[in-house]
Amino acid sequence: MPRIPLGDWVNSTVDWLLGHMAWLFDLCKSVFTGSYDGINAVLQAPHPLLLAGILAVLAWWLRGSFAGVLTFVGFAFIDSMGLWSNAMVTLSLVLVATIIALVISVPVGIWAARSDRVSAAVRPVLDFMQTLPAMVYLIPAILFFGTGASAGIVATLIFALAPGVRMTELGIRQVDKELVEAAEAFGTTPRNTLLRVQLPLALPTVMAGVNQVIMLGLSMAAIAGMVGTGGLGGDVNEAIGQLNVGLGAESGVAIVILAIYLDRMTSALGTEVSPLGRRAAARARAAKGLKIWSYRPQPQIAVVGVVILALVAGGMGIFGGNGDSSTTASDGGDIGKGRKITIGYIPWDEGVASTYLWKEVLERRGYKVEARQFDAGPLYTALAQGSVDFQTDAWLPVTHEQYWKKYGKQLEDLGSWYGPTSLELAVPSYVKDVDSLADLKGRASVFGGKVTGIESSAGMMGLLKSKVLKEYGLDKEYKVVDSSTPAMLAELKRAYSKKEPIVVTLWSPHWAYSDYDLKKLKDPEGAWGTGDGVHTLARKGFAADDPVAGGWLKNFKLSEKQLTGLESEINKAGKGRQQDAVRTWLKGNPDVVDKLAPIPAGSSARSADGRSIPDVE
Amino acid sequence: MSSRLQAQHLFKVFGRRPDEAVEKLRQGADREELRADGTTAAVIDASFTVEPGQIFVVMGLSGSGKSTLLRMLNGLLEPTAGTVSFDGQDLTALSDRELREVRSRKISMVFQHFALFPHRSVRENAAYGLEVQGVPRAERERRADEALALCGLAGWEKSWPDELSGGMQQRVGLARALATDADLLLMDESFSALDPLIRRDMQDQLLQLQKTLKKTIVFITHDLNEAMRLGDRIAVMRDGRIVQTGTAEDILLRPADDYVASFTQDVDRSRVLTAEVVMDREVRGDEADCGCDTVTPHTPFTELCAISARVPHPVAVLDEDRELVGVVQRRRLVGFLGDEQGTPVSCDAPRDKGGEKEVARA
Repeated sequence: MPRIPLGDWVNSTVDWLLGHMAWLFDLCKSVFTGSYDGINAVLQAPHPLLLAGILAVLAWWLRGSFAGVLTFVGFAFIDSMGLWSNAMVTLSLVLVATIIALVISVPVGIWAARSDRVSAAVRPVLDFMQTLPAMVYLIPAILFFGTGASAGIVATLIFALAPGVRMTELGIRQVDKELVEAAEAFGTTPRNTLLRVQLPLALPTVMAGVNQVIMLGLSMAAIAGMVGTGGLGGDVNEAIGQLNVGLGAESGVAIVILAIYLDRMTSALGTEVSPLGRRAAARARAAKGLKIWSYRPQPQIAVVGVVILALVAGGMGIFGGNGDSSTTASDGGDIGKGRKITIGYIPWDEGVASTYLWKEVLERRGYKVEARQFDAGPLYTALAQGSVDFQTDAWLPVTHEQYWKKYGKQLEDLGSWYGPTSLELAVPSYVKDVDSLADLKGRASVFGGKVTGIESSAGMMGLLKSKVLKEYGLDKEYKVVDSSTPAMLAELKRAYSKKEPIVVTLWSPHWAYSDYDLKKLKDPEGAWGTGDGVHTLARKGFAADDPVAGGWLKNFKLSEKQLTGLESEINKAGKGRQQDAVRTWLKGNPDVVDKLAPIPAGSSARSADGRSIPDVE
Repeated sequence: MSSRLQAQHLFKVFGRRPDEAVEKLRQGADREELRADGTTAAVIDASFTVEPGQIFVVMGLSGSGKSTLLRMLNGLLEPTAGTVSFDGQDLTALSDRELREVRSRKISMVFQHFALFPHRSVRENAAYGLEVQGVPRAERERRADEALALCGLAGWEKSWPDELSGGMQQRVGLARALATDADLLLMDESFSALDPLIRRDMQDQLLQLQKTLKKTIVFITHDLNEAMRLGDRIAVMRDGRIVQTGTAEDILLRPADDYVASFTQDVDRSRVLTAEVVMDREVRGDEADCGCDTVTPHTPFTELCAISARVPHPVAVLDEDRELVGVVQRRRLVGFLGDEQGTPVSCDAPRDKGGEKEVARA
C-alpha cells in the first residue's frame, strides 16, 4: 500500500488558509467575539440574584409557577457555589453558538429538504462534523481564530450545527405531501408554500432541533474550556487536571442546571411559537384545570416583570457600581498604562501560582492582565499564534520537548524561573523495600506488571519506554500503560486508598507529593537525565514590544520555599480566589513585588516610551 | 359562466428519456415494454372534452393513471406530451408564474384526504385560495363564510379542522375550492375516504350545489356506483389509457370491452338506469290516454318499478312537452334487473295472468 499523505495535505492546506484567507477568519472572529462580548456583558452586568429573577419570570411565563421557583433556586445555587460569572460565560458562549448555528443550519436544512442532491451532499459533512474528535479541530480553530471565546464558539458550532440542519430537513420533509400539493394547487408560490405551510408545520421538529443544538453546545462547553474559553468548561478542566472531584461536581452540576433550564425553556418556547402546539397545550391545561403550581401569567405580566427587574438591575449597575476595581493599584509607578497582557496557564499548581503571582504584580504596575486557562497543546498553539503573550509553565527541555520542536521557532524563551525539576517513578510509601528503580526488578507480580503512565505523547513517556526501563532491565517485566494525567492520578488515588501497590510516572514539583505519602524512586544510573527547568515562554516579539515587562520576566526566579508557600496559600483559599491568596501571600513577603518588577529609574521618562509602544492585542 | 376543458393526446411518462418513451408508445409499444427500460407510463394518449357545467368522471382502479391525469389538468404535473386547454387558453404553454395565476383564479381542487391546513381555523382554510389571490382580509373572510354556509358549515368558522368529522372536513375542503369562484373544480377521489352514508350525503350535496353553481367538474373515483351517480360523462381508465368515454348508460349497456363489462357487474343498475333506457320506442300512440301514472325519460329505474307495480298495463313515457315517446313493459324492467338482454320467449302452456292480477289487487 502506498502511503497516502493525507496529513501532509491537511498541513499544507491549513498553512495556505492561514496565509491567504486570514481576512475571512478575522471577519468571523470579530463577529464571534463581538456578539459574545455583547451578550456576556449583558449577562454579567446585573446582580446574580436579579438575573436569576429575570430567568425565573421567563420560566414562570413559559412553564408555570413551579418551574419559576425551581429556576430561581437553581440559579441561586450556582451563585452560592461561586460559579456565577463562569456560568454566565458559558451561557453567553452557548447562546452565541446557538444563534449562529441556527442562522446557518435552518437555511441549509431548508435547502436540503428541497433538493435531494443537496441533502446527499450535506449528510456526510454533518457526520464528519459530529464525529470528528473535538481536539482534532480545536487546534486548527486556535490557529485560525485565536484562543478564547471565538475558538470555543467555533468548536461548539461545528458540533452543534448538525442537529439543526437534520431536524429542519426532517421537519420539512415530514409535512404531509398532500398539504404541499394543496398549497400548490391553489397557486401558492414556492416561497409562500415554505413560509405559510411547510415551516409552520415543521416548527415543532425544528424547535426540537434548536433544543438539540443547545444541548450539544453545552456538552461541548467542557471541551471548549481547554482552549482558554473559560467559563464552567474551564472549571471542569481545572478540576480534572487537579483531580478535584468536588470542584468537578460543582461545575458539572452548574452545567446541568443550565442545560435543564435551557432545555425546558426551548421546548416550552417551541410549543408557544407553533400554532398547533399552542392549541394542544391550551387543551391539556383546560383538561387539567387550574392549579397554583402550573399557573402561568399572561405574556404582558411576564414582560412587565422582566422589564422591572431589568430596570432595577440597570439602576443598580449604574448607582451601585461594583466595588471590584481595587486591583488598579498604582502604589508604584504606573508602567503599564493600562496595556493589556494575556497570560495563559495550564491548571497545574506551579502554573496557577506563578500565573496569578504575575497577574497581581503586573496589575500593580498598571497593566490590565487576563489569565486564561488552557490544555497544554492549545496553550502552545495560542502562544505561537500570538493570542497569548506569555506562559510560565513550560517544562524544558524534556517534558514539553515535542511542543518546543513544533512551535519553538515562533516562541521566545525567557529563561527558567524554577528548577531543576525532576522526572521519576513513584510508589506509595507503604510499599516496603522499593526505594530505587533497581528495586523494581523481580517484583513485577507485586505491581501487576505495569507502570501507570500518562499521555503517550508526553516527553517523559518516551524517555521511560526507550531508556529508563532498559537501563534497569525492567522492559521485559513491566508494561507501561498509556493513559492520561488525570487517569493516572485517579488510579493512584484509588490504589492509595486501598493500600495497594502501584508504580506511577510522576514529576516534581507536583501536588500529589503533598497530598499522598509517596516515595520518589532513586535513579542511581541517572537514566532520567538532569531534569527540566520550568521556563517562561513568550510569543515571538513580546520582549521587544514591551522591554520592561520582558526584562522582569527574564529575571523571574522563585525558590522552592516561596513556590510551595504560594501554592499552599492558593490551595487554602480555594477555587476562584487565587488572586486573593496571592495578595495574602504577598503581605507576608512584601519585598517580592519590587524584586520581581523593579520600577526602572526615571520611570516617568520611561513611561513616555511606554505609551509609544504599540498596543498588544 | 363556466368554460370548456379540453385535453388532447396527453402523455405522462416518469423515468429517464421520457420523450423517447412517448414516441415508442405512439408506435404501439405497451406499458410492460417500457417498464423493462425503467420508465413508467402513467397516462397514455388521453383525450377528452368536458363541456361547461358538466361533471366528468374519470373512473379506474388504483394505478390506472387517473390521479396523474387529473394533476396534468392544472399543471401540478407537466404533461410529457399533449395539450390541456381551458377557457380557450393552452395551459401547457404557460410559464410557472402564469400557471400559478390560473390555478389561483380559475381552477381549484378537492383532495382525497381533505388536505386541510391543521394550523389554520376552518375559516382560514376556506379563505386560503383568496389569501393567495391577495383578496383583502375582510372580503375574503366574508366570501369564505359564504362558501362554508353553502356547504352547510355555518357556525363552524372558528373551529379547527381536527375538531370536525371526516365529512365535515371534506365540506371545508369543498368550501375552500368553491370560495375562489374558480370555474373548474378538480376532485381527486374526494369522497373515497368517507363512510358510505356520509359519502352519499356528500354526493347528494355536490349534485345539489351543481344545480345552482354549474361548475365544470372533473371527478376522479374508483367506485363505479359513484361515477354513475355523479357523472354526466364517464371515462374509464385502464393501465394509463382511457378505454371508454360515455354516459352512465353507455358504459353500463354498451361496455367497450370485457374489462369495462366486468366492472359494471357490481353496479346497482336500478340506481343508474332511467326510463329512457328501458323504454320501448315503438308506440301505438294511445298508451297515455288513460288516467294512469306516467313517467318522464329521466325517471329513475326504482321509481319506474314502483309505478309499474301500480299500473295494470305498460307505463307510458312522456317527454317535457307531454308527447308520448315510449312505453315500459314490465317484462323489460325485470329483464334489465337480471341483466337479460335477449328477446322474451313465450310459454307453450300459459296458465294464468296471475302475476298481473296479484299486483293489480295490491
